[in-house]
Amino acid sequence: MIFDSSQILAYLPMLILIGMGCLILLAETFATTATASRQGLAWLGVGGCIASLGALLAQWGDAGQATTHFQGMLIVDRMALYLDGAFLAAALLTLLFAPPFLREQGFEFGEFYVMVLFGAAGMMMVAHAAHLVTLLIGIETMSLAAYILTGCWRRNLRSSEGAMKYFLMGAFATGFLVYGMALVYGTTGGELSYAGIAGKVPEASKNPVFYFGEYFILIALAFKVAAVPFHMWAPDAYEGAPTPVTGFMAAGVKAAAFGGILRILDTAFGNPLLVFDFTGWANIIVVLAAATMILGNLAALRQDNIKRMLAYSSIGHAGYILVGVAAMGLGVTTAKPAVLFYLMSYTFTTLGSFGVIAWIGNRRDERLFIDDWAGVAQARPGVAMAMALFLLSLGGVPPTGGFFAKFFLFRAAMESPQLYWLVVIGVLTSVVSIYYYLRVVIAMYFRDPLRPLEPTDAASTRAALILTAMAVLLLGILPGSFIEWAGPVIGK
Amino acid sequence: MPTFYYLILSFVLFLIGTTGVLLRRNALVVLMGIELQLNAGNLAMLTYSRALGDEKGHVFAFLIIALAAAEAAVGLAILVGLFRNRQTINLDEANLMKR
Repeated sequence: MIFDSSQILAYLPMLILIGMGCLILLAETFATTATASRQGLAWLGVGGCIASLGALLAQWGDAGQATTHFQGMLIVDRMALYLDGAFLAAALLTLLFAPPFLREQGFEFGEFYVMVLFGAAGMMMVAHAAHLVTLLIGIETMSLAAYILTGCWRRNLRSSEGAMKYFLMGAFATGFLVYGMALVYGTTGGELSYAGIAGKVPEASKNPVFYFGEYFILIALAFKVAAVPFHMWAPDAYEGAPTPVTGFMAAGVKAAAFGGILRILDTAFGNPLLVFDFTGWANIIVVLAAATMILGNLAALRQDNIKRMLAYSSIGHAGYILVGVAAMGLGVTTAKPAVLFYLMSYTFTTLGSFGVIAWIGNRRDERLFIDDWAGVAQARPGVAMAMALFLLSLGGVPPTGGFFAKFFLFRAAMESPQLYWLVVIGVLTSVVSIYYYLRVVIAMYFRDPLRPLEPTDAASTRAALILTAMAVLLLGILPGSFIEWAGPVIGK
Repeated sequence: MPTFYYLILSFVLFLIGTTGVLLRRNALVVLMGIELQLNAGNLAMLTYSRALGDEKGHVFAFLIIALAAAEAAVGLAILVGLFRNRQTINLDEANLMKR
């Protein structure tokens, strides 16, 4: 086993997060119950995220060529670093949105921030994984943190119930993941690294057991991204979780799982033998994408609880991203960068919208129903404007990040004639989705308030809202460099 | 050592675990089903590892054992939290958010 410093340096962003998490755990024993002391723990976490982001930017230049480390277990390339950026943004914004919410609801624990940091480190490991062991450990680190965060609002019944469902379904998926990995390991003759598996695919694909292994792994990942029909945990988990956590889960966990899917399908299972034909994954992803887009968006139409509505909308978004994954399988080179850009834009939009939902409520009244949003624009025009911006971005209306994200994704899918009908479904369901996003906007702008607004105001929430709103606008008006970083989005 | 028998056993264990998760209504029994699935994975991993004469599978099995322990710890904590709030861990009664 050889450790040299360059290997450690390559994983510095991950290590900083874990180190800072441990530091906060230690610091918490010295922290008092005073607000300033508690807030200090959150600032430590924010500092960790910024330091990690710095370490990430420092290695961006060298990452043009992919390198693997630790005997091929982890890979550093532009795709992984781009996703790392999204995870860090998600963790940072969660650490800004969460403290006022936690304080108001009375469960301000330092462990909350620690779990956010550990969760983000797990996501990074998934994005960097080039080996089944690292994929499993990354997914588990991320998921365990997410289960704990979902259930940490202990006196809240919905939180415990959501955590229980999330945990049982997530652990069930892990069972499939582990069993699938065992089958792939055996049928490929003892290969665990993606490169090794890819090398053995021509022989192994003659063995039907190999397909069981491959699809068990894919089922587990489909659970994590909440693709229909593996989505049943998502609405309850998203509704039950403390609101800032919902944003973190919907953006971060989803982006990480998609990072894992993209890499394993592209490298380990990228052989045309496994992509096409009746047994190929391309067809299955196409069916999942269609079902996910339709069911997610139609179910969101009937929701009056805004958290549950956004939960279903997030299922719908997983469907759009799956269109990109299918396009990648069918050989569209621009599909992967388009998916990455979509994930980046979706991260900011989702965190922003859940940040506003966390802001609007208080201890007595969470104000989660759409009627509760009536007249927000009169009382607080700035926040209403930000929320309208996030919702329009989720719906894919210009000039927001969500518009370009959908545009590039569908454009990439159009390069493959087999996916035309899928793009049609995507555009139609996007139109449907605008209807339920606009319900909130209309309530905010054109209805009179039912009762006075008593939001949980805090400087950090305001700063985070300005940050997210600017990011969503920037992605929508000048997406240039974000697209360049993701890779070539425009084909020949 | 006939590898095939062990693989069949592991698959049967996996099926029992999966059926347990899907059919049982007590959250603790569901958790037991999940543990059974993980151990079915372990058994398959070890069988292949032995049959192929490859060490990696053994190491992986250790990781899975550690992971199952971590998962059980978090899972039991979540179930205790739910029980404190509701005095029940029956999954059919956890329907607060169904609409």
